[in-house]
Amino acid sequence: MLPEFFEFYNPTKVVYEDGVATDLKPELDIIGIQKYFIVSDHVINDLGLVQKVADGLAEAGFEVTGKYLDVAQDARLKDVQSCADQIEASGAEGIMSIGGGSVIDTAKAANILFSEGGDLVDDYSGAHTLTRPLKPHVVIPTTAGTGSEVTMVAVIYDEDNKEKLLFPDKFLLPNLAVLDPQMTLSLPPKMTAATGMDALTHAIEAYVNHQTSPISDAFAAGAIELIFKHILNATQNGDEVEARGGMLIASTMAGIAFTHSMVGCVHCMAHATGALYRVPHGVANAIFLPFGMEYNFEEIKTKLARLAPVMGEDTTGLSEDEAARQAIAAVRNLSKRLNDLGVLPLRLRDVGVPEDGLDAIAEGALNDGSSFYNPREMDEESLLPYIQNAY
Amino acid sequence: MGMFKSSEEFEKVIAGFFNLLADTPLIADKLLKAKMVIRFIYSDPDLTVVVDCSGDKVDVRPNDTDTKAIVEMSMSSDIAHRFWFGMVNLTKALTRKEMVAKGPIPKVLKLLPAIKPSYAMYPQYLEANGFGQYNITKSYTPPAG
Repeated sequence: MLPEFFEFYNPTKVVYEDGVATDLKPELDIIGIQKYFIVSDHVINDLGLVQKVADGLAEAGFEVTGKYLDVAQDARLKDVQSCADQIEASGAEGIMSIGGGSVIDTAKAANILFSEGGDLVDDYSGAHTLTRPLKPHVVIPTTAGTGSEVTMVAVIYDEDNKEKLLFPDKFLLPNLAVLDPQMTLSLPPKMTAATGMDALTHAIEAYVNHQTSPISDAFAAGAIELIFKHILNATQNGDEVEARGGMLIASTMAGIAFTHSMVGCVHCMAHATGALYRVPHGVANAIFLPFGMEYNFEEIKTKLARLAPVMGEDTTGLSEDEAARQAIAAVRNLSKRLNDLGVLPLRLRDVGVPEDGLDAIAEGALNDGSSFYNPREMDEESLLPYIQNAY
Repeated sequence: MGMFKSSEEFEKVIAGFFNLLADTPLIADKLLKAKMVIRFIYSDPDLTVVVDCSGDKVDVRPNDTDTKAIVEMSMSSDIAHRFWFGMVNLTKALTRKEMVAKGPIPKVLKLLPAIKPSYAMYPQYLEANGFGQYNITKSYTPPAG
């Protein structure tokens, strides 16, 4: 059945090639500015990745006017203002962010202030508050998970009020996403597995929730296929360019899918678990993913049955129910294989969640905004057993 | 021209419904927990309603333009009316600017599950309070999910 309404908007140009991050002249010439300010973090900088890109820019005749490297694990509100001030003072015409989700989101939010001035919270809190395009923003992801290079949201942590601020706006979509496997080769196995499972969760939830469309489905299914094909190899053999490239492309495709279709109960539970017990987002998503699929089973089994072959499963002769259960089993098996490699926990008890904290996770999940998009109406009584199973 | 002929008529309908929600513990308890202060700014016809959940009870104040709200939601009265039937696709409404939300979006999103039960209440409320002519669900089948 076709949706009553959907919108698909993806103006971000995506370029993929091994080594392309140091050879961006054709793409940057089209953007048409000369002076870029780099936003990254100290880990990426210490790995030499920032210098590598900067050298490529200089060689191609572009100027790097400055660098902001103080992005923390969470994109913090105070960093956004400081970053924007430095970009402005440097005389830059645009931004190049090199990093994971926090770096990219910091750069997105800083670009609002750099382009439009004002105060981020007072002037831009809300949905789609911007009225015109921002200054150019080029993104080079160094993880394969968040998909922030193609999403229209910046998530910023307000330390003073201890809350995450969400800025959804189509003008936050970057001009260019540069997918270069070389930039992810140094990602450690645990991070590779967790961020990869985060991308898988984006794709599966985007595929099954009730905001979905045929176009987002195509991106989600493509991402799922690539992740099943490459995540084990990327985790075990981090220097394999093919596997790293597959995961980067998958993460971007999953990002395109979920920025249109949103996410559901798995993210609700993961957000609550992260907020209560500081469990990393990708790990929490990985733990909850098969349980979330089971929770929604009756509502999503037709689509799950379609996903099973995409995951590499042979569903010949199976009923819809059986094929759908095979998709869940495939996800569970993938997590198990990553667990066997010692890089991914399978249970909440393995990541420091106390058994008496499960009720609080259920309550937090129900209060999460993503619950609105979940295909099954969520309530605490029905959700709690699945969280207990994940324990 | 919208469905409601005057601000007074729309005020009777929408503020009356908000007061019903304020008296419904299933919904009011969650709103009070969020401590949210929302100003709804309606157009065609014009009306402003503040729903103040910062105290011990949910306080509904039509035509309050002084209170500093945490979130402001602007929309036409017709969109607002359809919203309370559960007929508004939020993504569509926000991206097409049929609804404009200003303020902390995570707090707004957290409220959505809390108010979901109210969709079933709205048509019943209209019928029970002499506003049956505004009940557009009589010929409508809601989407699944």
